[in-house]
Amino acid sequence: MKRRNFIKFTTVFGILLSTNFVVARNISNENLMILDEVLNIIFPKTQNMPSAKEFKALEYLVKNISHKTFDDEDKALIIDGTNDFNSSFPEFLTLNKNEKKELIFEIIQNSSYAKSWVSKITYYGIEAMFSDPIYGGNFEQIAWKSVKHNIGYPQPLKTYGQKI
Amino acid sequence: MIYDVCVIGSGAGAGPIIYELSRAGLKVCVLEKGDIYNEKDFSKDELLVRRSIYTPNLKDEYHTIEEFIDGSWHKFPTYETGWSFWNGTLLGGSSNFMSGYFHRLKPNDFKLASTYGVPKDSNIVDWVISYDELEPYYTKVEELVGVSGEVQKYEFLEPRSTKDFVYPPLKENKIVDLIDKACIDLNYTSIKTPRAIITKQKDGRNPCYYSNYCGSYACSSGAKGSSRASLIKDALATNNLQIIANANVIKLNTDKNKKIKSATYLTKNGTKKDVSAKLFVVAAQAVETSRLLLNSKDENFVNGVANNSGNVGKNFLSTSGGVISATFDKSHLPLEELHASGLFVNRSIMDWYYTKEFKGGAIDILFEHQNPIRRASSLRWKDNGDLKIGEELQNSIFESFTKTRTLNMEIFLDWTPNDNSFISVDEKYKDKYGIPVANIRIGSHEQDLKIGNFIKEKAIKVFEKMGGKNIVSDISALPSANLQAGGCRFGDNPKTSVLNKYCQAHEVSNLFVSDGSFMPTGGSVPYTFTIYANSFRIADYIKNNYNKIIA
Repeated sequence: MKRRNFIKFTTVFGILLSTNFVVARNISNENLMILDEVLNIIFPKTQNMPSAKEFKALEYLVKNISHKTFDDEDKALIIDGTNDFNSSFPEFLTLNKNEKKELIFEIIQNSSYAKSWVSKITYYGIEAMFSDPIYGGNFEQIAWKSVKHNIGYPQPLKTYGQKI
Repeated sequence: MIYDVCVIGSGAGAGPIIYELSRAGLKVCVLEKGDIYNEKDFSKDELLVRRSIYTPNLKDEYHTIEEFIDGSWHKFPTYETGWSFWNGTLLGGSSNFMSGYFHRLKPNDFKLASTYGVPKDSNIVDWVISYDELEPYYTKVEELVGVSGEVQKYEFLEPRSTKDFVYPPLKENKIVDLIDKACIDLNYTSIKTPRAIITKQKDGRNPCYYSNYCGSYACSSGAKGSSRASLIKDALATNNLQIIANANVIKLNTDKNKKIKSATYLTKNGTKKDVSAKLFVVAAQAVETSRLLLNSKDENFVNGVANNSGNVGKNFLSTSGGVISATFDKSHLPLEELHASGLFVNRSIMDWYYTKEFKGGAIDILFEHQNPIRRASSLRWKDNGDLKIGEELQNSIFESFTKTRTLNMEIFLDWTPNDNSFISVDEKYKDKYGIPVANIRIGSHEQDLKIGNFIKEKAIKVFEKMGGKNIVSDISALPSANLQAGGCRFGDNPKTSVLNKYCQAHEVSNLFVSDGSFMPTGGSVPYTFTIYANSFRIADYIKNNYNKIIA
């Protein structure tokens, strides 16, 4: 029943985007835990790649989501989407690892709202993975090293292009 | 204070004016919309590109793009689509971020109408100057701004007054050997792409240090020939130059003699201020230049300054064409060579720049930008539009990053000027300061797409011959937002052009436009080299005739 509710939200996507905007500092601990779990489902540890926990995706998101350059609509989608997901699946955090994964894989197939929400989290997870560690993700360049990425020099000494 | 010259903008169109006139002893004031940065402020931080740090927030300052849909024209604000036409709001403008492909125009580019005729529904005209008149200034840019490369003979090589470039070519990735071999096999001619990147020390500018992130990023050594690094720094040393940063010019004001007397700008906090000068040069990049003139309405110019003829904004130019990409792997080159850091590709193919029947285009070959966030984020979608997450996404990122590299061929074509390609302003669409934004109608001529597909068929054979995998092409008649020209074309007839041959407004004797706005046709190469060269030409004219102009 709860899953059906989440799927139903597809039709109210536009309304959700324009209302109930909450800044990052107001994300509840529970919702942060949900985001952490979802990020680790999107970016699991593999033979060659670090997990979201290892490259500190959640830390990156929390550190940067309130910056003025973070897209307002993206911010709303991430925060509202997490709230709505929590409302629809209050048992999520109690599920075992496989059940959580199955649920996320299922909702992105069945709900365009869920797909948009997970896609946005994926995008910012990738930012966390490959941005300069100065922003709080890519811990100790773990992602760059994993893919043997040749970085550009010089690396930033300050965030967001602030002048030296 | 009344300055001798006020320059609005500081990019490639402004730099030579600023450099030459301040060195000639004139008191020059530059009104730059953005801030002032130095080499030490720049880094290879991909988030700066992702978050558009050096351009206005589209929700505050946007454009409208006017597209032909279902039989009529519709305006779409760019804050809805994210399709930004801002290219660099800081000292030096977009020249800070260019890739610096510095091809000269060729002699017939100056006389396209008389060479190929004028296609129906197009507004192609010959230029009022010839290649020979601009040639000395191309040479000057090669020296002062700095162009590296090697002059190689090919069928359409333009005449040169110097034997070779001042700066030797950049170091190259081994993949160029495969490109060159494929071209030889196909009987094509590949040439080294000239780049506005210096390879030897020049005064305070250090040579290229192969940062690995070049195009789209500002240069930390001063090797890239931005107007900031290559010209404005030297101009500052004259003590004749005053730069007012964060000055958003919103209006040019005229006096009873129909001359510009002042420019009104908004400071960062929105306060209105005026700067007075005897002569004004506008170089705000083509879209914003037309916007400023059109928004500068008064009793002398009810349709905008220098626009009593109604020509301002008409015949906007961009570049159509597209991209062909292919991936390469260890079957083509050892991975350590394929992934070698910082080395350039620098190959161009000009074999179809002209054909017997029609004007063709140019091909530049380069590696896909390194930007890992952009590359990885494109991997989160499956071919069927489903989202790719979990191990599948992680494996996809690993495989793509470690085992392949993507090579792109960029096709550059003339944008055929036509009645549905123009800049206008509309009181219905205003920025956060209440100033009407520029509307860009992007109607293209049907021949542009045809020529794009003609070049594509030729170009794709190179990747096929190289054994490239996943060859994909995207040919389009849409404009490239970073390639802007036209809108204030120059010509001898004040009824059909905004500027005279020296880029002085026909209707306003102390107003010059020195960015790409003057171009009636744009050639099949990026505009920046020609904008620099033409700006040096205008600077010479102003320098030699200053007293007469302001009299």
